[in-house]
Amino acid sequence: MAYLQVDGAIKRYGATTALDGVSFAVGKGEFFTLLGPSGCGKTTLLRSIAGFSQLSEGRIDLDGVDLLAVPPHRRDIGMVFQDYAIFPHLTVAENVAFGLKARKVPASAIRERVAEALATVRLAALADRLPAALSGGQQQRIGIARAMVVKPRLLLMDEPLSNLDAKLRLDLRDEIRAIQRTIGIAAIYVTHDQEEALAISDRICVMDGGKVEQIGTPQQIYGQPATRFVASFVGTMNLLPPSAFGLPSSDGVAHWAVRPERLRLSEADTPAQFAFSLTGAVEHFTYLGREAHLTVSAQGHRLVAQIAAPPPDLSIEAGREIQLALDLRDLHAFDSEGRRVTVGRAA
Amino acid sequence: MSAIADTPRQRSRWQPDFWSLVAFAAWAILILLLLMPLSLVLVSSFRDESGGLSLANWQRLFTSARYFNAFVNTLIVGFGGLAGALLLGSVMAFCMARLQIAGSRLVSMLAILALVSPPFIGAYSWIVLFGSGGIVRQTLMSWGIFMPPIYGVWGVLIVFAFKFYPYVYLLTSGALANINRSLEEAAENLGLTPFQRVMKVSFPLVLPALSAGGLLALIHAIADFGTPRLLGRGFNVLATEAYTAYSAEIGSNLGMATTLSLALILLSMVFVFIQRFMSRRNVYHSNLINRPEKVRLRGFANVAAHAAVYFIALGGAMPAIIAAIYSVRKTNGPVFQPGFGLESYSRIIATLGDVVRNSLVFSGVAVLLIVVVGTLIGCLVARRNTVQTSLLDATLMVPYVMPGIVVGVAFIAAFNTPPLVMTGTATIIILSVFIRRLPYAVRSSAAALRQVGPSMEEAAISLGYSPVKAFLRVTIPLIAPGIIAGAMLSFVTAINELSSSLVLYVGGTVTMPVKIYIAINDGDYGTAASLSTILLVLSGAAIYLAFRLLGRDERALL
Repeated sequence: MAYLQVDGAIKRYGATTALDGVSFAVGKGEFFTLLGPSGCGKTTLLRSIAGFSQLSEGRIDLDGVDLLAVPPHRRDIGMVFQDYAIFPHLTVAENVAFGLKARKVPASAIRERVAEALATVRLAALADRLPAALSGGQQQRIGIARAMVVKPRLLLMDEPLSNLDAKLRLDLRDEIRAIQRTIGIAAIYVTHDQEEALAISDRICVMDGGKVEQIGTPQQIYGQPATRFVASFVGTMNLLPPSAFGLPSSDGVAHWAVRPERLRLSEADTPAQFAFSLTGAVEHFTYLGREAHLTVSAQGHRLVAQIAAPPPDLSIEAGREIQLALDLRDLHAFDSEGRRVTVGRAA
Repeated sequence: MSAIADTPRQRSRWQPDFWSLVAFAAWAILILLLLMPLSLVLVSSFRDESGGLSLANWQRLFTSARYFNAFVNTLIVGFGGLAGALLLGSVMAFCMARLQIAGSRLVSMLAILALVSPPFIGAYSWIVLFGSGGIVRQTLMSWGIFMPPIYGVWGVLIVFAFKFYPYVYLLTSGALANINRSLEEAAENLGLTPFQRVMKVSFPLVLPALSAGGLLALIHAIADFGTPRLLGRGFNVLATEAYTAYSAEIGSNLGMATTLSLALILLSMVFVFIQRFMSRRNVYHSNLINRPEKVRLRGFANVAAHAAVYFIALGGAMPAIIAAIYSVRKTNGPVFQPGFGLESYSRIIATLGDVVRNSLVFSGVAVLLIVVVGTLIGCLVARRNTVQTSLLDATLMVPYVMPGIVVGVAFIAAFNTPPLVMTGTATIIILSVFIRRLPYAVRSSAAALRQVGPSMEEAAISLGYSPVKAFLRVTIPLIAPGIIAGAMLSFVTAINELSSSLVLYVGGTVTMPVKIYIAINDGDYGTAASLSTILLVLSGAAIYLAFRLLGRDERALL
């Protein structure tokens, strides 16, 4: 049986439904991410697990025990907050020791474990400082150390990196993942950043409008999006009507979709499987260094193609006619409800 | 694990019932000390002298020439005070926020002095300088320059302008200093002339602060009863009429006093609503990447700016300064003698020890109550956003618009007859101060709490602290400096409180401000001046402490 089990979670605020029957299971030691746009219910769900918000209906079990019967302070669930929630009146070490004191851990053990936790997040030198003088990244490290040091049964993280600048976000992201692996704790991570979710997670649960759109590994989420929403929320997706460019028609297909990086500029040496090609006019060309984006207008449809490792002398002026090629196996198909459909593909 | 398993499945269980208790107690307090007295005031205004139901009082209010005059005069002092405070306050605010003024710390200290000057002593000091026998007037007359004495409506308005300008000044200078300079630069960049820029950008941005400060000045002006009483010389307003109707030795008329009080409350409420309506959309938050710089003026403009600032600052602080000087003048009984001496102080020590003690004890107890109850209700209002707490918050607005005289009259109406007889006790004075100042404490602790944010407490709970423990271990330490600073400021108001105590005091419960009032009426100016000075020193000490804890923020005094 799964370690954490959420069953039919429903949360209503008056007339609006924030969570609409969400169910999932998280294994022991798994890094599980709730991904979705703001207002999709991911934070509500996280707060319900923590106990700061009560479900209208549904069950949450942790390690076989009904969690909703347990008051939040006895749930033994660590939490890392978006705004850090570092106690400004306590020193860094006192912040980290705060949860251990509640557990009546002897003073000598507290000292030892706090020192160890601070070393893990590389803040040992700042133990006696007050947090006000520390940077956002350092404050969030305290937050992580404070939540981890009590060895909780589950670790919840509510957009912990969203207030940090881009470079720091990448560093801390890897650190969080490394610490979580070392301790072997089950973690639930909330984010609206799809790249972050792909990078950090064992499995991702994509949510929209209070419902689960898809649960799967990063590869599944990106490679086989279960719905049109997942396809366009995670990464970029070109959506085309079923009849466009004379694509093979298939019953029940309302949209074809293809990732920009699966579109190729037709050249002499294009591999044979890129059998399907279409012609369009370049609208604009964006050079980004490690890649370049090409917006192409073809038969009234607009497509984005990605060119990996563009040569430095590559420049394509607007209005130029070009040919794009694609492998039909890279096409995704969605029905009129936006659900993924499998179609027999011509090789 | 067993502890977890044993807990019955009951989701509301971990919501501490403590807060429901607080809500219950808050309503009990408000009903007993606010709503009940107020409704008795309402009822009493509809009774005639024999106790029967009638509209006689209201009829008199609108038909009697005397009350009609008082009503018009109240509007005159209200708007006159507003205009004067706006003029002086905005000039001061602009100079202090945008210009380099030498000695600006001294100036802001003088503004605080004006704000906390004990009531009555202000009017008295103006008489000392500009009354019929005033020093300045006499001097000018001896030079052959005629100067009318300060009595009458103009005197009242001049005193109000200098007394209430700090409300406008403190709020507006804060707003002016917080306008993002980029906004003004953007307006310049878009081609607006400096005058257009001020009218179209700066002025709308400070309008909320300006109108809030103006409202405070207006409400204080129509509630003020000492100034028109001492300086008015027949210039009556609703506040003085309410006091007269209540305190007349023969034919004391509680029904008329309550009717006049209600008229005063209604008037204040109308102005509050007008101000709310005016600034309904005007909450601006701007980031402060680009703070406005203070300009250094040169030549005549610089002299003029300094002259204006110091004229206003010294004018406002003048009563306090005069009181301090007169407190060390040599006296023989109530009569001043040439030279200086400490007779006034030794007389206080010898005969007025209990008055000083009363003041300290009453304010101390009141502040203690205010802090405890105010913090709890503040937390409730800040954390529980329900219809019930919004109603509580709204009800707490009522004391803001209740002039002290009205609180006094209402308490007499409510607590003079069984079941609850408190008239003549210290308790009634303490409770009147408590209910008047409670809303400020609620506001400030709710504001402090909103700054802390709920995630601090949630972090503590997720680390294993029960909600009550999390509140005590995390929230209380974080808001404590704010609460103590608020307590100090409440102490300043409590110890200077006059108008409700004046209605409620008896021989044994005379406080310092009441004694100052009596002393001035008896012509014992030395005692009045030295008591005022003691009040100033106590207030100054409390403000110093508050600023040490909270950081220097004059606006906290409003």
